[in-house]
Amino acid sequence: MQRKILEFANLLRQSGLRVSVSEAIDAFQALGELSLADRDVFRDALRASLVKRGDDIATYDQLFDLYWSGFYDNLKNAFDSATGSLGEQGIDVERLLEQIRQMLESGQMPEGEIDLSELARALLTGDLNQLEQMIRAAAAQAGAARIENMLQIGFFSRRTMESLGAEGAANELRELAARLRAAGMGDAEADAIGKLAERFFEALRKSVRDFMERELQTRNFDYMEKFRREALFEKSFYSLTEDEIARMREVVSRLAQKIKNVMSIRRKRRKKGKLDLHTMLRRNAGHGGVPFELVFKEKRKDRPKLVILCDVSSSVANVSRFMLQFVYSLQECFTKIRAFVFVAELGEVTPVFQDHDVSKAIEEALEGGGVINVYTRSNFGMAFHIFWRDFLSAVDAKTTVLILGDARNNYNDPKAWCLRDLHTKAKNVIWLNPESPSAWGFGDSVMDKYLPYTTMAEECRNLRQLSRVVDKLVL
Amino acid sequence: MFETVEDVQKRLEEQGYICDRRIATVVYLALKLEKPVLVEGPAGVGKTELAKVVAKAAGRPLVRLQCYEGLDEAKALYEWEYSKQLLYTQILKEKISEVMEGTKSLREAAERVGQQDSVFFSEQFIVPRPLLHAITSKEPTALLIDEVDKSDPEFEAFLLEVLSDFQVTVPEIGTFEAVTRPIVFLTSNDAREMSDALKRRCLHLWIDYPDEEVERKILEVKVPGMDQKLVADVVALMQKLRSLDLKKAPSISETLDWARALLALNATSLDEDLVKDTMSVILKYEADIRKAQQELSRMMTKPTPAPGEVPGAPAPPRKKGTLH
Repeated sequence: MQRKILEFANLLRQSGLRVSVSEAIDAFQALGELSLADRDVFRDALRASLVKRGDDIATYDQLFDLYWSGFYDNLKNAFDSATGSLGEQGIDVERLLEQIRQMLESGQMPEGEIDLSELARALLTGDLNQLEQMIRAAAAQAGAARIENMLQIGFFSRRTMESLGAEGAANELRELAARLRAAGMGDAEADAIGKLAERFFEALRKSVRDFMERELQTRNFDYMEKFRREALFEKSFYSLTEDEIARMREVVSRLAQKIKNVMSIRRKRRKKGKLDLHTMLRRNAGHGGVPFELVFKEKRKDRPKLVILCDVSSSVANVSRFMLQFVYSLQECFTKIRAFVFVAELGEVTPVFQDHDVSKAIEEALEGGGVINVYTRSNFGMAFHIFWRDFLSAVDAKTTVLILGDARNNYNDPKAWCLRDLHTKAKNVIWLNPESPSAWGFGDSVMDKYLPYTTMAEECRNLRQLSRVVDKLVL
Repeated sequence: MFETVEDVQKRLEEQGYICDRRIATVVYLALKLEKPVLVEGPAGVGKTELAKVVAKAAGRPLVRLQCYEGLDEAKALYEWEYSKQLLYTQILKEKISEVMEGTKSLREAAERVGQQDSVFFSEQFIVPRPLLHAITSKEPTALLIDEVDKSDPEFEAFLLEVLSDFQVTVPEIGTFEAVTRPIVFLTSNDAREMSDALKRRCLHLWIDYPDEEVERKILEVKVPGMDQKLVADVVALMQKLRSLDLKKAPSISETLDWARALLALNATSLDEDLVKDTMSVILKYEADIRKAQQELSRMMTKPTPAPGEVPGAPAPPRKKGTLH
């Protein structure tokens, strides 16, 4: 049991859960206090001691089913069907086995003692518990823990059978049948024993294969999942399917939560402020009111104001989508957020976010939010000019301006001077461009014109890059 | 204290707390292994209540420590009672001069005082705060550390010593060790993730929204006198509401509030208008209420359309994923 639990803990670790040694020990102790007859209690006890995060529970449940759902049951099924099929042929398997068992126990074998291997004995006596343990041990010996893909199932099954000594046991059973025949047992019965042995081996082979398949599943459980997520992280925003967008949304909201968690810790990192007389007197009361320890008021780190300008033309819509989601999931990290969208015209969509929940608001914002026409050709110069004309007052020395766009201006006037004024007023101007820097300034890209007026310009084409920028923004 | 898992379940039920096997198992294990339990889950599912009820069922007084940002040792563990110390020195002035009598040098006097100084740093002058109280208490206690996620990471680190050894060191006096280990419950609303070190020392219990059957039982116990049919209707509607994509899904406490409200209104059955009028008891955000009202007629008339199958139905609740 201990081994199995350790193995299970290992498996959880491989699937990305954090399970420490002391937690595994807790699990043993917990099991010692409970009756294990009830599967649910067993599951809950392990869960309480091994899994410590709400997010991990789903993974745990899946793995638990995979790992603990009885291999034993399958073994039993395989052997039951083996004996069952013989029973249909009119052979009384029970009686036959009983006979053999008695012979084995009493040691009254015709022609002297027969030296049966452990495996053969387990098969004949139908001791499936023993059999299960033997298969597990043999599989471990065969290195089944190293199994990595479907093609190896056959190989490892064969090796497990070898280390079980299956071939030897088969011979022994055949010999047993021959001896019984020689000792005057009826042909029919001797034949039946031969058949039974064959069926048993078939069942054994099947079970071993089944065991390997399970092994592969448990080892690989997280593989696809991880792969998919990694891919999602790296996948370019340009080529997302509907389904991927939905999943991505989930990933973004979880990332945002993570950043929020970090934020709540970072909040403590404040600068020292004025002398705090109140607290100081209290703390120094022990020294008779003589201020040995000085206490200062703590100043909180200023949260930035954010103005975000999103290009919502189809070419960058996905970057805008996820950036907006990020920003709005992290609302409390900023003192104020104002969001603007543009293609050629520019309009404010902040109210949209106040009226709807995030996902709906984003969809609406990408449609122009009812304030701009999205079915035109991009014109950054015009958009910046409108912002400069109407909304420059929204920007002050505490404001970070975040611009999302590919700067493909369709050969219009870039009006970089608008951005220059913005840059002078704002604390930071950050530009996120889904194109790689090598393309900036080529063709109709006017990125090079804008570049001098940004504090930071980053390539941002997938989630990993995006989350890095958000990190910088809030921390 | 508790014999079996079933016993826990039964005794908690006697106290009016309906719980499933999972919760009972963890409580049972916590008592047997003398380990703290970290209880997490959405707000209002009865995390704090669980601690209270277990304390009651086990016949132990509950010591509660409410965590908040800026909570420090002085407020959680112990503090020297400076004013009392000062007062005593004033009152005992004569006695002190008596002690000092006959000393010739300053050094001698200081030594004399030194021999007596433990008087002023004794248990007499300590104000025990919840943690120390729970540990030094003669009778076994139950300790509830509520909303531990609201506390600072430094405080969390300090909790580790207390939780792993159940002892507290006061430099001037020595180490206090718990006579009997208290039952400890920590609750967290997931405002931030607790450190692995803390989690390692605890058993973990995730309390989720109850399923229909459990919720019905809870209602029957907590709000007696409600019509059977009404209970069923209320619970069914709550379950459906939770499947909507809401900012704050209603939890058990909202169900109870609502049931009490309906009882006060002498309602015998649910109809759409009644629900609309009392919606503010269940949902706490304007946007949520609006959304729920839109869905209301559909939720109340049709038997139970599975979300996703009906066009325009809300997305099914998001499955908790495993990205870290």
